[in-house]
Amino acid sequence: MKADEYNMDLMKQEIENRIAIYALISRLMLVEVDETFLENIEKDERLLAFFPNYRDWPKRKELSTSELIEQYYNVDFTNLFLMHLVPYESFYTRDDQMIESGGDNPVLELYNDLDFRVELDKARVVSADHIGVELEFMYMLCTALQKALEADDKDGICELLQVQRAFLKEHLLEWTPLFLINAKRESRTPLYHDGAELALEFLLSDFEYVTEKLSQHCETTATTEN
Amino acid sequence: MTKSMNNENPAFLEGRRSFLKGTAYSVAGATLAAGVFKTVADTPAMAETKFTPTPKTLSFYPPLEEWNSFTELDGDDWKRGGTSRNGVQSEDNPDGIKATEYMLVPTACSNCEASCGLTAWVDLSTYKAGGQLAVRKYMGNPLHAGSRGRNCAKGYAAQSQMYDPDRIPFPLKRAPGSKRGEGKWVRTTWDEAMKEIGQKMHDTLKVGDEMSKKSIMYHVGRPNENGFGHRVPHSLGIDGYDSHTNICSAGARQGTIQWTNDDRNSPDWSNAKLIFLQSSHAADAGHYFQQAAGRIADARKKGAKLVVMDPRMSNSAGMADLWVPCWPGTETALYLYLANRILNEKGLNGEDLVNHNFVKNWVNWDHLMKDREYLAYLVEKKYIKSVPAGDTYEEFIEMIAEMYSPYTLDFVAEECRIEKRIVEKLYDMFIDAGARVATYIWRAGPIGHKGGWMIARSAFLPFVLRGAMAGDKGGVGLHHWHVISVNGKGNAATEAGVAPGKVDAWNEIAWPPEYPLSSYEMSHIMPHLLMDDEWRAKWNAKGLNVPEKLAVWIPRMYNPVWINPDGFRWIEALKREDKIEMSFNLSPTWSETNWYCDFILPVGLAGERHDQHSEATQPSRWLSFRNPALRVALEKMGWKPKDPTRATLEAHIKAGLGEVWEEVEFWANIMTHYVDPDGSLGVRKYWASKEDPTRCVTIPEWYQAAFDNLPNLKKAAKASYPDSKYPNYEMMRDRGTWLEEDNIFKPQERPLKKVGENYIAHGHEYHESEVVKDEFGVLTATDAHGKEEAIGIEIDGEFVEGFHTLTKKLDFYCEWFKEWKWPEYAIPIYPTTKEDRVKMTHIVTQVHHDFMQKDNEFALNTVFRLPYNIHTRSVNSKHLMEISQNHNPVWIYTEDAKKLGIKRGDAVKVTITDTVSGLDSGYFIAMAVPTEGTMPGVLACSHHAGRWKLKNAVEIPGFEHKLGIMGVGAPLYEMTMDGKVGTLKPTEGLNEGMQARKDTWQFKEYNKDLDNIWWDGLSGSWQNAVAPSHPDPIAGNHAWHQKVIMELAGKDDKIGDIYVNYENNMKVYQAWRDDLTRPLDSTDTLRRPKHIKRPCVPLSDKAYAVNIK
Repeated sequence: MKADEYNMDLMKQEIENRIAIYALISRLMLVEVDETFLENIEKDERLLAFFPNYRDWPKRKELSTSELIEQYYNVDFTNLFLMHLVPYESFYTRDDQMIESGGDNPVLELYNDLDFRVELDKARVVSADHIGVELEFMYMLCTALQKALEADDKDGICELLQVQRAFLKEHLLEWTPLFLINAKRESRTPLYHDGAELALEFLLSDFEYVTEKLSQHCETTATTEN
Repeated sequence: MTKSMNNENPAFLEGRRSFLKGTAYSVAGATLAAGVFKTVADTPAMAETKFTPTPKTLSFYPPLEEWNSFTELDGDDWKRGGTSRNGVQSEDNPDGIKATEYMLVPTACSNCEASCGLTAWVDLSTYKAGGQLAVRKYMGNPLHAGSRGRNCAKGYAAQSQMYDPDRIPFPLKRAPGSKRGEGKWVRTTWDEAMKEIGQKMHDTLKVGDEMSKKSIMYHVGRPNENGFGHRVPHSLGIDGYDSHTNICSAGARQGTIQWTNDDRNSPDWSNAKLIFLQSSHAADAGHYFQQAAGRIADARKKGAKLVVMDPRMSNSAGMADLWVPCWPGTETALYLYLANRILNEKGLNGEDLVNHNFVKNWVNWDHLMKDREYLAYLVEKKYIKSVPAGDTYEEFIEMIAEMYSPYTLDFVAEECRIEKRIVEKLYDMFIDAGARVATYIWRAGPIGHKGGWMIARSAFLPFVLRGAMAGDKGGVGLHHWHVISVNGKGNAATEAGVAPGKVDAWNEIAWPPEYPLSSYEMSHIMPHLLMDDEWRAKWNAKGLNVPEKLAVWIPRMYNPVWINPDGFRWIEALKREDKIEMSFNLSPTWSETNWYCDFILPVGLAGERHDQHSEATQPSRWLSFRNPALRVALEKMGWKPKDPTRATLEAHIKAGLGEVWEEVEFWANIMTHYVDPDGSLGVRKYWASKEDPTRCVTIPEWYQAAFDNLPNLKKAAKASYPDSKYPNYEMMRDRGTWLEEDNIFKPQERPLKKVGENYIAHGHEYHESEVVKDEFGVLTATDAHGKEEAIGIEIDGEFVEGFHTLTKKLDFYCEWFKEWKWPEYAIPIYPTTKEDRVKMTHIVTQVHHDFMQKDNEFALNTVFRLPYNIHTRSVNSKHLMEISQNHNPVWIYTEDAKKLGIKRGDAVKVTITDTVSGLDSGYFIAMAVPTEGTMPGVLACSHHAGRWKLKNAVEIPGFEHKLGIMGVGAPLYEMTMDGKVGTLKPTEGLNEGMQARKDTWQFKEYNKDLDNIWWDGLSGSWQNAVAPSHPDPIAGNHAWHQKVIMELAGKDDKIGDIYVNYENNMKVYQAWRDDLTRPLDSTDTLRRPKHIKRPCVPLSDKAYAVNIK
């Protein structure tokens, strides 16, 4: 097997995990947790390992999951995503710190260009550049990559990797580190603390990963980025 | 997070690199993801690019050229992501974002007097799809020079007022056989009403004698138009106009008239260094709230300071640089203290603080110094020690420096009950601002007190001395410089072609002989005068011909029963069909007064009528043009009315608003076809159209002619609409506002206009040979009617226009006031001892602290407006009532409350007692709120709340629905009255009343939330009914403030209860009238000085002449 082919096969294994993690962190930051979601994390030790403080939190033994959700997690979610922090890219990137909810939002333009449509009412957010939406967008791109890998569509793979890298670089990594550091500091439960930590670490690592893959498989395009 | 959650956990960090390694997670991503994306684009991304999903600035506004058709995305749809995702809604794309095509019709707010520009957003999409034509929202008008696109809460409320679930849908008539106040109504039509009313007016006028000219009274609440209302009685040839001014601002106007012979002052807020507010009015709620507040904010942004003098910590006072809580009614002392220091002290560099350049040229000191007899009188009164030897300016300054020296810091601190440090700070700020001090002397003091006018009179003195009254930048100018009044001047469109002639009668009901100097009509005592047989007999015996009744009384957007003092006396008079034979209210909403009228004729609100309206809000002359939005929209879409003289009414019926009309078309129609159908009374020609005398004038004809009086407007209209027959009208219809002249400063210094050998002044030409200059430099000329007029003045060798007074200067010494029996008050003055306060009672407030002897005796401050409420019209605006809830507690200083054992929320009994007659009026039960926001000894409770109704709804025979009455704004009460005592008791909150009929039949789409009226409206009480009328002996205004006794309410008392001894109230009014006035007597030959304004009907010399036996 050539190194190139080996890497492709590896990517096929890795993509499922990328999909899972993007799904996990986007879901965590978009809507309040429910019992099913928490069960899904808890039943997979590897996922649970990403939430070490949560895993060891004594309160989980004292209270039922629904009590934890109502009395702790939802309170923290409201604090982090609705009240005190502003989880929108335009807030961090515009000089006037206004949330750009209309068609002039570059993130929205990007979604549109790629024929993706955000259902804001379902997402219950005011703008498409919400962290949860952007992370779910990466999840969608990874799902698309998975299909391209399965179809062995090399051009498609490169194009998707390129889009992913650009989106990470120009959008997510432009502002989420600051937001996630704030979220970590402001969080009042281990669930969101660990979740913010996980998202931050993962995004940084994923950017390196995508860059590396691009350089391995799609050299010409990768170098034009900078 | 706690430290136990270690961020440096090495295992975790190691894990960082292992996100993707190893086997897959057991949970698939799809199970975890929220799934907010759709990947298939099933709609076009951007159908059109004309939308502005997120305007770049808050002040974004559609450009004027798009006003006839502007498409906007639906506000409710933003959550779905805009057109980018869903495209625009259409038949092919039903899930797209709704985009509504609007026509923006400019109009002006009609709620308060400021006349801020509005645009009515008329929904064309729904209409074109077969739905009803409706206004979806009201926004600002960015073209408006005064309001600059901005509005307060009341402006946007025009929408909820328009589609009020209890809107009066058609004209109503008191049911035949029922009595006034029984609340039985039948439906009538405008034509039936006009026929019956027109006949009554016709029959009254046909008699043609003097009394017939005094028997119809047009009583105007909120004019909000410049002069149209005046024309109504004027064209009828009657002296029949009553304004609401004497419960509003007549006190301030009196003080201003004495100085300037102008109606009011007009500040330049924007350029001031010190904003000096007496009361919260200008910046909190009233003249001219939103515009004044914006200009004040502009000035503060540039560094101006704000001082608010008010016993109550208002919104303005709360954000001021200095709050000056002064005992109500003693403000005069404080102003004279400022004058004293300006006259007797020097500036930091040893310079005089008096602006001699201004005072010497522009104050009538020379007239005073020549009047040696009067100077001797001042010595006799002990105002000065001796008559100055000479008559020079320097001696004048020296004399008044002595005259005002008793107004010391010690005196003012004692008299005004104010801390010395605040007084001194105020003085420093006043001096620091130089001549750039702007003020608007209007509400509060001048309308609250006996002698309130002297507060205004004295207030201007320090401004004059500092040169701030020169009408220059950042200072104070005058009203008539900055206002446009052409609404009643469409004469050229009428068959007559000219204004009606002067009227030959003097109506004692509006202008009783006790009040020859009253600033405006004495309308607040109209029912008292009508019912005072003794008074009438007295004057008839002296040779007058006083009306004993009115044939027709016409309130217009007015609710005197509720807003005037002594409401039970009003009800008593209105119920008397022998005193008021017929009455009809031109009223956009239900009101307490409507209940006692014979007809209720529904007229339009802000976007449902025509008016030209202008106010002096800044040193420029702008106007608003009010448009009926639905009519304009229909006409622009090609609709034509059957009768062009009734287009507004027809349009409102077509658009489902109801049979709502407007005054301009109504009056033109009733006059032409019903009051004087054959022209025999000489009235018809003033309303019949010149183009077609068989009908009355149309709106385009009237306003084309009216606006012809404005040269700049006329020129611009001609240029913009070259092919139009009515360019003036069309331009104003399309823009809604016009700036005729900007930056008007110091017009008194303008050279007197001269063309050839003729001087031009006040619209007349005078040959130079006829112009005479007197010893003071005043230029007088005699006009064609033999009337001598002061037309200008010589200043520094130049002939200039001067001020509007007889002396053409500012009258420090008001000579005519001396001649009209009040010599002791012909200059700004105030008593300094208790003994003098008794002698000079006419200028000492009825709530002076001299009268407060016990811990539970207080001055009640009633004159402040609530920012979100406006008299009557806002009562059923959901939007505004949700904010106000009819809530109106009594503010009491915390220490006072402690002494009386009163806590927040306690029901308290407030008994009103009069300090002139010594009589009690009764009490109202209210809610107490102890606060540091009112000064010790002074309670505060606005007289702008306490609405009530006696029925929740009325049934109209033959009409399927009940008509609701003030359902969201006035709770239900039970009333008793027996001619002497009246009571009111709350029986049901308005939330309860509304629950019973939450499924309204009218304007359902706008009123889906009536089940959510959560406020009961039961925390205010109708204090106005308890208050007796206090006619000021000189200015004639009602002096609003009351001496009250406060105690905890009894266990059977409920907040909202009132008990009124209105028999006593009649005696209180009589005491004020008989003990305090100086009526006309046999020495008088005139009813009133001819040179001061005598609103609003021009009268002949014959009418002015009087002979008292």
